[in-house]
Amino acid sequence: MLAGLLTGLAIAASLYAAAYAASPPNALVIGTQLSAVPSLDPAAINARTPSEVVSNLYDNLVELPPDRMSDIRPMLAEKWVVSDDKRTITMTIRKSVTFSSGNPLTAEDAAWSIQRVIKMAAVGSTDVALWGFTPQNVDSLVQATDPQTLVIKLPEPVSTELVLYSLAGASLGIIDKATALKNERNGDLAQNWLKSNSAGSGPYKLTQWRPNDILLADARADYWRGAPAMKRVVMRHVPESGNLRLQIEAGDIDVGQYMANGDLEALQAKGATIDPGPGLGFYYVAMNTQDPDLAKPLVRQAFQHIIDWKPLAQTTMNFNGFPWQSIIPKGMSGAPTAEPTGYQYDPELAKKLLAEAGYPNGLKKTLFPSSDALLKMAVALQASARKAGVEFEIVPGEHTPDFRARKYQVLVGNSGTRLPDPFGTLVQYAYNPDNRDEAKLGGYYLWRTALDAPELTKQVDLSKAETDPAKRKAIFEQIDKAFTAMNPPLIVILQRTDPYAIRKGVTGYVGHPTWSTRWYDVKKS
Amino acid sequence: MTAAATATTGAFKRPARFARLQRLSGRALSIATTLIGLLLLTFTMGRLLPADPVLAVTGSEVDKATYDRVYQQLGLDRPVLEQFISYVRNVLTGDMGSSLTTGRPVSADLLTVFPATIELALVAILVGTLMGVPLGVVAAVNRGKFVDHVARVVGLAGHSVPIFWLGLIALLIFYAKLRWVAASGRLDVLNEGMIEPITGLMLVDTALRGEWDMFHDALAHIILPGAILGYYSVAYISRMTRSFMLEQLGQEYVIAARAKGVSRRRMIWAHAFKNIRVQLLTVLALTFGGLLDGAVLIETVFGWPGLGQYLTRGLRLNDMNVVMGAVLLIGLVFLTINIISDRLYRILDPRTR
Repeated sequence: MLAGLLTGLAIAASLYAAAYAASPPNALVIGTQLSAVPSLDPAAINARTPSEVVSNLYDNLVELPPDRMSDIRPMLAEKWVVSDDKRTITMTIRKSVTFSSGNPLTAEDAAWSIQRVIKMAAVGSTDVALWGFTPQNVDSLVQATDPQTLVIKLPEPVSTELVLYSLAGASLGIIDKATALKNERNGDLAQNWLKSNSAGSGPYKLTQWRPNDILLADARADYWRGAPAMKRVVMRHVPESGNLRLQIEAGDIDVGQYMANGDLEALQAKGATIDPGPGLGFYYVAMNTQDPDLAKPLVRQAFQHIIDWKPLAQTTMNFNGFPWQSIIPKGMSGAPTAEPTGYQYDPELAKKLLAEAGYPNGLKKTLFPSSDALLKMAVALQASARKAGVEFEIVPGEHTPDFRARKYQVLVGNSGTRLPDPFGTLVQYAYNPDNRDEAKLGGYYLWRTALDAPELTKQVDLSKAETDPAKRKAIFEQIDKAFTAMNPPLIVILQRTDPYAIRKGVTGYVGHPTWSTRWYDVKKS
Repeated sequence: MTAAATATTGAFKRPARFARLQRLSGRALSIATTLIGLLLLTFTMGRLLPADPVLAVTGSEVDKATYDRVYQQLGLDRPVLEQFISYVRNVLTGDMGSSLTTGRPVSADLLTVFPATIELALVAILVGTLMGVPLGVVAAVNRGKFVDHVARVVGLAGHSVPIFWLGLIALLIFYAKLRWVAASGRLDVLNEGMIEPITGLMLVDTALRGEWDMFHDALAHIILPGAILGYYSVAYISRMTRSFMLEQLGQEYVIAARAKGVSRRRMIWAHAFKNIRVQLLTVLALTFGGLLDGAVLIETVFGWPGLGQYLTRGLRLNDMNVVMGAVLLIGLVFLTINIISDRLYRILDPRTR
């Protein structure tokens, strides 16, 4: 069958015998997906791949090590002081840092970058806008008092750590104000230009960017921390996991992202490192409580026992997450310390609960996967639920918009957040300030499930303002407990991980839970 | 030429020109109608897709204020008809809007992805023709014999084996094991960004600039996806060639020529094959058109940055400007191919003039 193909290729090969070298020793080649990167402007991103790119083109005021995120470390700000009333953060900006343009970096660049994120009000502002900054007040609250001093005043009482965490996020990369303004058009704050150009002080400079194809970044010899070992980083669009696996095996690609489980297992068996890439999101089952059946707490309780999550976590999803049943990510303040036990798969118990709720013959519901990636989980859920008398009809497709618009019955989805604090997930899962349809608060999961929980919402607000770590922890524990007790319409079953396959001989590439994965320490032997 | 004759032809010149003009304007009108129809169809399709273009811009974790602002920015709050009319107006001025997922003007994206697809389709049609036409001729000449069956199996295999699987198997053999070809993209990472595009066709640009190492590199990248895509079209090309040839071989002039002692080989290639060239051209033109937007699976397997992937992604994320821009381009290409093959038909077949 391949005869013709073979002949043609043999001719081509005899004309040209390629001796493909592995990826060069001073270049890092990453195989990834570059099909949905609308912008490389820090203020306009909130997804995994662009966050990684931007974190290497721009520096932040502070940074969080991927393995100890509560340890806020200096970066462009060499030190900072928090006022006694916890309402003012005064930062001292490092001297002798230059942007890739050669311009010196000052506190004015930092102030302007923060103001810009808030004024643009694009997706990059999601975290930092939570602290009460608005386009109207940000100019007076965030100011450079001299070239080395940045003063951030907080409009409302907020835990200082939260503010610093958001300053460490990829969207708060510090931009070269002069270069950006030189490329501004119609007062757009250089949004258009920064989509595909970089103006940062990071260790890399954007050299070439073609969406759906390739991104090249070259190292800066004059980077303030010293030049990185990898002189060039190449991100290549390789959407097919099998192809990517072959290229990692052959040594042409060093790091693989968005890979299928089977390929990750095969690479692991051949000596590649699989960085589990712990994330701050969850895989969950959501129920719309506007559906009269799902409005009943007993039905929702029954649903806690129709998900056979153990085999799912061990096979289909073994690289995508680990069993978890709390809305606070593992290891964080207030998170459970024991293994999850609450939602055990028990079809008989589920049947009993359904009968109690008035459904002795079971239930029929439509099940939406939020996207194609969640289809396998939906299928697994369908199979395990059938044994409990719950019949799911799966409708494949991209159903996130339906979820946001409350146009669904049951949905399986996954979430992500870049804020390394329980508040980041709690505000997603346990916060619903206005349950009316017309409020359209699609950003909050609890609103999407149409469950009004004023007490929880109040507690989440409290946790934002509380500055005492012990008190915060107590509030988080309380929220988690109360959430579980109400037979929530969001059943968390796994904590999300985003695995990275790293070729043997490549060190220093560590996937960051907030996606600010940095290439600075990468070395190849 | 006599004066009378000149007068006669002169008398007929104007009406003939007029008729041609009429024909041309009729064609232009039909092209315009087709394109408007195309746009209307894709626009309607976009409205029916269960996806949210706002989320394509913002991602799914977005607050209401941002959502509403983007909704307005995209003009989604205006009446549908108004949106459509303004889109058509923009397209006429060469502005297809911006892609939500790449953040660039659609026209700029198309200028990048389309040459990649054209190049891949050209290699594929070359492979498909070189394999399919001889296969079809041989099968027709040996009708019902073993060779005929083998030819059919070879053609059908290419068409029925899942292209995804075939792509990965081919990668395993020719890339991973033999190291003859490259695995993804259009150039090696070392050569990326080293060649200033002229035509956008990598093989042509590298040759024009005399960069032969890079030409080899480009060839190593395109040969496998091109060959597989070409092999995929072999079944159709060989089947059509076979039936055209059979039709010719049954004609009286063939029997007469054979009786006159014309050699079999000469009979096949100089007489029968010559007479099927025109029909074959149409088949190849249509196949080429099909390769332009049908290459999405191959483009995915080989990470080939072409139109197929671009359009599919646009459809999935409801990136309407991308979908309409790409569909418009494909429609234009089909129309162009039709017009060209029509002209060639007239040139090659005197009977149609």
